Amino acid sequence: MPVPAPRPLLPSGLKLLNWFLAGWTTLVFIFLYVPIAVLIVYSFNSSRLNIVWEEFTLTWYGKLLENKPLILAAKNSLVIAGASTVLSVILGTVGAWLLHRYRFRMARGIQTLVAIPMVMPEILMGISLLILFATAGMRLGFTTVIIGHVTFCFPFVLVAVQARLQGLDPALEEAALDLGATPLKAFWFVIVPSLRPAIIAGALMAFTLSMDELIVTFFIRSAASVTLPIQVYGLARVGLNPMLNALSAIFLLATVAFVLFSAYLKKLSPR
Amino acid sequence: MKAIKTLILTLVASFAATALHAAGELNLFGWSEYVPQDVLEGFTKETGIKVNFETYASNEELLSKLVAGGGNYDLIQPSEYAAELMIRRKMLAPLDKAKLPNLKNLDPELKGQVHDPEDNFTVPYMSGTVGIVVNTEVVKTPIKGYKDVFQAKFKDRLVVLNDNRELVTWALYSLGLPINEINPAALAKARPVVAEWVKLVKVFDSDSPKTALLNGDVDLGIVWSGEAAILWNENKKFQYVLPAEGAHRFIDILAIPANAPHKAEAHAFINYILRPEVSKIVSENFPYTNPNLGARQLLTAEQLANPASYPPAGAKLQTFRDIGKAAADIDKLVTDLKSAQ
Amino acid sequence: MSAVPAATELAPTDSRRPGWRAWALLAPMVLWLLAFVVVPTAILLVYSFCERDEVGGVIFTFTWENYHRVFDPVYLRIFVRSVYYAGLTTVICVVLGYPVAYYIARASVERRNQLLLLVMVPFWTSFLIRTYAWITILKQDGLLNGLLLSMNFITEPLGLLYTPTAVVIGLVYAYLPFMILPIYGSAEKLDNSLIEAAHDLGAGPVRAFSSVIVPLTMPGIAAGTLLVFVPAIGMFAITDLMGGAKVPMIGNVIQNQFLQARDWPFGAALGVIFMLMFALTYVILQSRGARHAT
Repeated sequence: MPVPAPRPLLPSGLKLLNWFLAGWTTLVFIFLYVPIAVLIVYSFNSSRLNIVWEEFTLTWYGKLLENKPLILAAKNSLVIAGASTVLSVILGTVGAWLLHRYRFRMARGIQTLVAIPMVMPEILMGISLLILFATAGMRLGFTTVIIGHVTFCFPFVLVAVQARLQGLDPALEEAALDLGATPLKAFWFVIVPSLRPAIIAGALMAFTLSMDELIVTFFIRSAASVTLPIQVYGLARVGLNPMLNALSAIFLLATVAFVLFSAYLKKLSPR
Repeated sequence: MKAIKTLILTLVASFAATALHAAGELNLFGWSEYVPQDVLEGFTKETGIKVNFETYASNEELLSKLVAGGGNYDLIQPSEYAAELMIRRKMLAPLDKAKLPNLKNLDPELKGQVHDPEDNFTVPYMSGTVGIVVNTEVVKTPIKGYKDVFQAKFKDRLVVLNDNRELVTWALYSLGLPINEINPAALAKARPVVAEWVKLVKVFDSDSPKTALLNGDVDLGIVWSGEAAILWNENKKFQYVLPAEGAHRFIDILAIPANAPHKAEAHAFINYILRPEVSKIVSENFPYTNPNLGARQLLTAEQLANPASYPPAGAKLQTFRDIGKAAADIDKLVTDLKSAQ
Repeated sequence: MSAVPAATELAPTDSRRPGWRAWALLAPMVLWLLAFVVVPTAILLVYSFCERDEVGGVIFTFTWENYHRVFDPVYLRIFVRSVYYAGLTTVICVVLGYPVAYYIARASVERRNQLLLLVMVPFWTSFLIRTYAWITILKQDGLLNGLLLSMNFITEPLGLLYTPTAVVIGLVYAYLPFMILPIYGSAEKLDNSLIEAAHDLGAGPVRAFSSVIVPLTMPGIAAGTLLVFVPAIGMFAITDLMGGAKVPMIGNVIQNQFLQARDWPFGAALGVIFMLMFALTYVILQSRGARHAT
């Protein structure tokens, strides 16, 4: 899929609208990042209970590196969220396409079923999945946690991709088929690239949901597959200390660095 | 495609990891953060037994996961009322006291409690109370009991535990009624009291009630004694008061599930925890009342002076009994009153 | 894309009917849904007709008792309140999020993905830590009150935390990305020529936007509404932490049946009714939409 040419500049009458959009977006980003800024600032707070500001310190970053359970939980969360995202994207994208492409009697039933995990209260999902796994004799661990996460993540991908599909030109696939592509090839080489923005959006949502889930995970995890939210929630009882802020700060800075670095690489590489 | 391959590898690896369970393992299911990392590492270093520590945040989480069929645990940490229930349902294994010589360190006062009269199934780990925290810089009038806390002048200055049974228990105490006999008549009497009280509360929080007090959003609270002890350590203006009408005392215990695969390792761990110098580490991390008299001798004068950890003798304390179906009535009552606001 | 020669018409009925290949592709999702959605839901359904067991869990009998208890005005009131908060959150998210999604969709190809990632990154910290950051901002001697006091906007600190306002701020914050992303997904494909054409035909920028762009991104708005509104109804952690847990939400009530009252069958019955109401609404809306389309 070739990268589309840059869009033409808008006519001057629409400049006002553009300014408004840019200003609004800036305000919303401020809203999104104010708590994050507070959180990062407080990662340098010497107060253990981290409620009032005392003085600047870096000790929490050092303590974080020594805290093996927390590091392990962070690592587990990344693995689980990564795996859940990949599976969710596959299930969600293929599912959305088939539900869109074909007309069959079960379609509406499937559509409703897909939405059930979004509405099912977490505790019900957690307990019923645990009963299922226990009855089926499955050992709790990474596999069960990933299964649970995919179940509540993939509907988000599916819904996002479906929204994109609704405006897709049906001629696109037919053209590819006429040119001799198999339906599978048409899907992979024509449909998927045109769905990319929605797939990326869905993947980001799935990853985020998985990173932040607590209750379902509690029921279907084992000692080894502890996740970050579970570890953090436990720490709330002794007082959330700035170590957790430090961990969040590292996560954020790593992601931002990744964004900047990939942008830089793109600039370097000749087109 | 590469991503899929990595995924499959991860899945295979995790299967392999769960399938391997070597000898010398202990699956501990305990309260989050309650067993310090140092204790776990010290035990492994000494015995070579690997500890898999899984956590929960309430007795009902523990029961739910056990009942739904999760995990094969060797050692659990329920509170006394949950343990009582589990003993009655034959869910706990009897202890082999010959393997637990360090039991001698325990405070005799905690022996023979109603949940386990013969001490056959449970070993106390830590105990605590539910009491009143007063910010003495703001609240100048003396606070002695529940009725002093729930006054109209403190409206929106209160934090209390977000726990329906606790709320009803305080109301029963203030009425002079027994706290473990929950029946429609008792609830009917408690209802108007609780109805008035919920209107005065600013925050209901069981996980970290200290936050609202430290932030200055409230001046008075009814909280776990451990929370109160942390507050007192932070600032001496936070005074802990055990309500004159009576207070709830909880005992967190160690017990071995009936179907535990590694009972010998579990006994070794209990005996290790009962050593004074190990139990002391728990006290340092968690300022509850340590039932280990040997450990108490190792604590500093300041730790022992913390009124939330070691309240003055003579307080009226009572543990919870299991109330069965009445728990649902309490839930309905409080939900009803809260949502009527 | 328009360069591709027009296709000879396929008989639409044939190509719309799934062949064995399509079924093979569909099978994983159907099996997944059966195993991890239908079976757990069936377990809950069975449990909702049972009696409670003292340790949690159930005694297998058949009783309508739990369903009798569900239809108590208390729970109805709580449900209505939950829907109200979820609805308010959804509306605010659309208003706040739409321009952002549209702006990101208009950005250059490289910047788009970066901006998208930046929308999501704040949410890769733990929920509790984020919420405690909000508490630091909103508390009585917090940053917001400090700022407003020093600028002489107010003379006394506002009691923001533990109020419905704080709850709505928390909910909007948590769900905003789930509105922005799907709208972005459907706005990204829009051509600038559309809005230009509308403008050339004499529509002002606001008219061009509201009568051309917004209708074309309706699928995105609908998807975002679904992804925000539905999870928000059952949300209770934010309402507890930012609102002080003073008024219960339907999520609290269900959770309490398991973690306080130890009454699984009643919790299951509440959940079954909750999901049933949702599924019915969803099916009705869908069939209406389908009729609309044809």
